[in-house]
Amino acid sequence: MRAYWILPNRDQSDAILASDGHDILPLRQILDPKLRPDGFAHGVPTELLEKCGPKAQEEILFAQRFPGWNGDKTIFCLSSLAGIDSSGRAVHLGLLFILEPGERPQFDLPSSGLSKEDRVYASSLIRRMASSRRDDIWAQSVHDLIEFRSDREPATNVALERSVVHFQALYAVGRGGSLKKLHWRRPHVTAIALLIFLAVLSVCLSVRACEQSSHPAIHVGVATWHFS
Amino acid sequence: MSLALTTFRAFLLLVSSPGAEKHLARLVKGVVDWWAGKKIAVIGPTASGKDSFLARLQNQDIPRVHSNSPMGEKIKSFRVKLVLSNRQSIDITCKGVINVGGETDYRDAPSGWLAVCQDADVVFYMMTIKDLAGSKFLRGRRIRQDLDWLLTALPHLKPGVLIHILINKIDEEIESHTDYRALAEELAKKLAALDETAINVLHPYEAVYTGATLISMKNKQIYTRAINNVLRSVYAAFHGTAKRQKAR
Repeated sequence: MRAYWILPNRDQSDAILASDGHDILPLRQILDPKLRPDGFAHGVPTELLEKCGPKAQEEILFAQRFPGWNGDKTIFCLSSLAGIDSSGRAVHLGLLFILEPGERPQFDLPSSGLSKEDRVYASSLIRRMASSRRDDIWAQSVHDLIEFRSDREPATNVALERSVVHFQALYAVGRGGSLKKLHWRRPHVTAIALLIFLAVLSVCLSVRACEQSSHPAIHVGVATWHFS
Repeated sequence: MSLALTTFRAFLLLVSSPGAEKHLARLVKGVVDWWAGKKIAVIGPTASGKDSFLARLQNQDIPRVHSNSPMGEKIKSFRVKLVLSNRQSIDITCKGVINVGGETDYRDAPSGWLAVCQDADVVFYMMTIKDLAGSKFLRGRRIRQDLDWLLTALPHLKPGVLIHILINKIDEEIESHTDYRALAEELAKKLAALDETAINVLHPYEAVYTGATLISMKNKQIYTRAINNVLRSVYAAFHGTAKRQKAR
């Protein structure tokens, strides 16, 4: 596993900087822009900031998972707000993981090489992710994304309506920053319930038809239902 | 008199000076029809004012939630109604607008600037007056790198695409000066150098370059005046190119 901080662009420089916790280097040296997966972001999308509003913005954790990158690697990126830049715009702090097959993100990256201001946000991010607080729904959504298994499709912890790239999502954010788990398995559950209902109905009808028939039933058909 | 109004009056003085005058095109017949339904793209370095420009086009104030745009995001289609000085108005339909960050990382990513510009009829490249004053359009520096990028991107863009440079934050420059004539002369020289660089860098596609315009997203009066000039300049350039092609 390789892990890096993606640093807030506080001085509005032309390049995004990253750090392994000690040294600072351009992000493009770690992840060539031309090879970055479509939709890769180094911050919280504006859409989420607008939906959550100023009160809940500090709580936002935005995570992306790109399986099958560069062969069988996975890119996992987590972002939060990290104060403002020199003209008062919100800036973002990110945690980037390049994972080998079977690896999971470990939230223990040092932050000693970061500026004092960035260290505060880095420590807070690590604390939130390492904590087992059940009431931090944003952190929970990130943990759920880590556990989420999808072979090829990119996924995010929260659904985005304005993203250029389509992501699978686990949660939806409502007005004021509330998070609601998306029951993306519901269509499967509904289909299974419908099949059971149809099976029961057909058995009932068959039995009734046999009872009403003047001819004894010679063959009894067996219907086998496979649920997967 | 408010600072904004003073700044606007100084702006009028700047743009009416002989050096900068050629950057303002005259009103050309047909401009209204030509702009109707055009698709535009806005690119440029971080903090150059892309979000503010999109907000102004939508007749909104500078965004409430102001953030360094971290990823490509779709913006709902919107119509722009711009009133020209002869009381005609222009409807521009901005369809499928994508907002993307200005860092070079986004410029060079496949889903970055290229994706934004691919279907555009007109590409607005935003820079700031500080980029102009700091000669960042010279070799090896950011604006020059972006012009180089445009040259490599042009073969992949829509045929007939036009590129116009918007130089934002002129209000800040005006407010930090008292001798506006000296400032006008200085800006005229820099604008001429920028024009020359853009034409040289974009060769053999230099015909797509329609010029550069000083603008302010913050000062609404300057914005209104400047954007009308932009619309005329772009159309005038298109008209000139079309005429030349017809003559051949």
